[in-house]
Amino acid sequence: MDAFRDSILQRGPIESFALKTVQDFIQPQRQTKLAQDENQMLENMLRTLLQQLVASAAQSGEQIMQYGQLIDDDDDNNVHGHGQIPHLLDVVLYLCEKEHVEGGMIFQLLEDLTEMSTMKNCKDVFGYIESKQDILGKQELFARGKLVMLRTCNQLLRRLSKANDVVFCGRILMFLAHFFPLSERSAVNIKGVFNTSNETKYEKDPPKGRISVDFNFYKTFWSLQEYFCNPASLTTASTKWQKFSSSLAVVLNTFDAQPLSEEEGEANSLEEEAATFNIKYLTSSKLMGLELKDSSFRRHILLQCLILFDYLRAPGKNDKDLPSETMKEELKSCEDRVKKLLEITPPKGKEFLRAVEHILEREKNWVWWKRDGCQPFEKQPIENKSPNAGHKRRRQRWRLGNKELSQLWRWAEQNPNAEKDSQRVKTPDIADYWKPLAEDMDPSAGIEDAYHHKNNRVYCWKGLRFAARQDLEGFSRFTDLGIEGVVPVELLPPEVRSKYQARPNEKAKRAKKDETKGGSLEEETKAVSAEGALVGGSTSEAEGEVGRGESEAMESDAIADTPTPEEQQRLGGSDTDNGQEAGQIEDTETEEGGLMDTDLNHPPMPIS
Amino acid sequence: MYGDATNWNEDEYRESILKEREIQTRTVFRTAWAPNPNPDAFVVASSDGTLAFHSMSSLVSQSAAFGYSKGEDFMVAAPEGVVRAHEGPAYDVKFYGEDEDALLLSCGDDGRVRGWKWRDFADSTENLVKPLLELTNPQHKGPWGALSPMPEINAISVDPQSASVYTAAGDSCAYCWDMESGKIKMTFKGHSDYLHCLVSRSSASQILTGSEDGTARIWDCKTGKCIKVIGSQEKKSRFRISSIALDESESWLACGQGKNIAVWNLPASECVSTISSPAHVQDVMFDEKQILSVGAEPLLRRFDLNGALLSQIHCAPSSAFSVSLHPAGVIAVGGYGGLVDVISQFGSHLCTFRSSLL
Repeated sequence: MDAFRDSILQRGPIESFALKTVQDFIQPQRQTKLAQDENQMLENMLRTLLQQLVASAAQSGEQIMQYGQLIDDDDDNNVHGHGQIPHLLDVVLYLCEKEHVEGGMIFQLLEDLTEMSTMKNCKDVFGYIESKQDILGKQELFARGKLVMLRTCNQLLRRLSKANDVVFCGRILMFLAHFFPLSERSAVNIKGVFNTSNETKYEKDPPKGRISVDFNFYKTFWSLQEYFCNPASLTTASTKWQKFSSSLAVVLNTFDAQPLSEEEGEANSLEEEAATFNIKYLTSSKLMGLELKDSSFRRHILLQCLILFDYLRAPGKNDKDLPSETMKEELKSCEDRVKKLLEITPPKGKEFLRAVEHILEREKNWVWWKRDGCQPFEKQPIENKSPNAGHKRRRQRWRLGNKELSQLWRWAEQNPNAEKDSQRVKTPDIADYWKPLAEDMDPSAGIEDAYHHKNNRVYCWKGLRFAARQDLEGFSRFTDLGIEGVVPVELLPPEVRSKYQARPNEKAKRAKKDETKGGSLEEETKAVSAEGALVGGSTSEAEGEVGRGESEAMESDAIADTPTPEEQQRLGGSDTDNGQEAGQIEDTETEEGGLMDTDLNHPPMPIS
Repeated sequence: MYGDATNWNEDEYRESILKEREIQTRTVFRTAWAPNPNPDAFVVASSDGTLAFHSMSSLVSQSAAFGYSKGEDFMVAAPEGVVRAHEGPAYDVKFYGEDEDALLLSCGDDGRVRGWKWRDFADSTENLVKPLLELTNPQHKGPWGALSPMPEINAISVDPQSASVYTAAGDSCAYCWDMESGKIKMTFKGHSDYLHCLVSRSSASQILTGSEDGTARIWDCKTGKCIKVIGSQEKKSRFRISSIALDESESWLACGQGKNIAVWNLPASECVSTISSPAHVQDVMFDEKQILSVGAEPLLRRFDLNGALLSQIHCAPSSAFSVSLHPAGVIAVGGYGGLVDVISQFGSHLCTFRSSLL
């Protein structure tokens, strides 16, 4: 035995000696894999050894996981820098992992170890288990040892105090949660049975001698716990629900009436709470006043309400258990009130509520999962039958045809500050804009056609849009004179200027001719058409589109130096009409202008 | 019984209807907690001139339903003791002294202040306890010996240290009475309309009065001179000062005027904040550094000194005229309908009741 002990606890890389030691001592029939009785023998030897080690550790008064630790082991790389027992466990774990020995052996040893250790040492042992979680959780080991592990953990939980060892309990639960697959049913309360024995006791009779201030309220308040403890009772009898909701209303009214201030919320900060953690609140009537001022107490109660409401609405019960319509409405209003109260309960009420809502939402998913019979979460890969269908569904529809256009459209709303940007590109002044073209038009400059601005289509198009907005007169010349006509005359070099100035008069003459042609039309219409022609450069207005003609006349009004007497008369005659029309025009123009403005707010706006 | 009219007594029925009406149309003008570390006994002064004394423990045991909800029929509670103190409404009731020997003082529309020994008052069940003290407001003499009508007394305030009782009277004067002799020590003249409320600031030997003329005044008790006028007299449209309250340290003043409460710091003599509420303020009160106020709405509001609304509690009277606080934190709100709503320190309704008639 001592030889085995020395051999198995020798220092050095485990791989080098572990298997060899087993082979030496067991002399198995097969070299690398032990038969059943050989396994049993090895297990017995190991358990005996472990027992010895623990016994001697206990005698020496050392912590068992540190027992036999070498003081001079200061080499960080040395994996054996810990005590003998962890070393032994490491060796066994290695053997199990390589399937030289039966996989359950390590679990058996761990169970032994926890049973032999004091609670304090168990913490270290459990730390070891946690550190080896990855290896222990491997499929082949897990399958052999999951029941032993569950038993070990449950035993530990049973030994621990629920009130004093909350952290350790939590560690164990966390470990179990990680160790077992998510869909493991063994810990699920399939039937949804409530722990009705968790009864909250409170004083039923007012204390004698002292004038109990609000005993009715006290009783009402704590009586709620009966319902929280057994929510199922609420759905069966409507009278109970009535009683519950009226009691709850009283409590919520009281909470409402005494909102906690920020300071009161700060007073019991979370750190303090962690230090004085209690499983249950005390129910003495003397504490009522203090408890009502405690924001975390209030939160507990309100959270209980939310959990209860969620339960009542949860599916999966028989139809007759589902809440009635009126009850549903009451539930909704109660829930809203509770949420509002949670929100105003400091500290960080809003954040708390959000977190709670999130958790309850997740909880709902679990409820569904349980209702559907605890399906495993591993999903079979879905056969890709119709890749097109899936693809189609995913493609988003763009409001304006494609992504770029939609983005462009929304650009203004997304960049509200662009308007204030000092560097933003504004609609250029028409005079500035046309300068390059005007310079090119100077024959003395001798610009080649290829570089002439008039042949730059983008430039011209932009210029026309600006002209349409800023300089209608110039814009109107486009029909007759082409792009060069639009350039304001002042910009042109003097020699070219005459060429573009003379034309309009000619144009007017031509319009006059048109007028005489359509002599059968009424005078007014004729005048109108003349104006229309002058402005729009189109003679088709002669068809009698009075409204349009008028509107254009209005515009031309400002342009024409000397309006004809007819014109004046006409203008005077239909003043109101004009006003209306003008108004309309202005409207449309400003609308357009608005659009343009928003479009042009942004420097990178590509017009082309 | 149903349909049996043999013993029908029409007079009795008529009387019962009238009595019920009378109960429902009464107004509680003031409630006062008896000097006792436990919030047990309190006195209710109502518009029928009675002082009724109720005990909390019996009220709570009587009230079957906890809390209160709208439209509910309120409990009619028989008082432990009741006395017809005044002809016409009783407007204010105060305790003079802290211990068992305290005097219960009340004033009313008949221009009298009456005082009872509290122990006698509480112990006797019959309503014929003789008042120990009776002070009658002076009537103003006119030409040919004509006497003015008796001015009513709207508020009393006590200062046991100097053995004085102050009254706010309807002749726009405040009076200081000597409790030993029962004589007027000082008259405070200056308001241009009748007084609504009055509070004594014994630490500075001052009194503060609020009047219908829209001003509150601070008076020096030694000289009887007005030291300071809060609010301007010129504007006729100003609302009356309906209520006035000092805090424990007597350095903060809350002054209810119209729909506003002005909070003054007296040492600095400056208005710190103005709280406005949707309804007319009818009574204010300090609870440490918080202000309780009631008004022409069924709500008890609680503000901090900066005017931030801390909480509002629904209470039974549709218009509340009085709020009084017991040091243990229990609040009694009295108002229209003869209703008194007692609210615990947690903000829950301890009991809501109408006290029955004499």
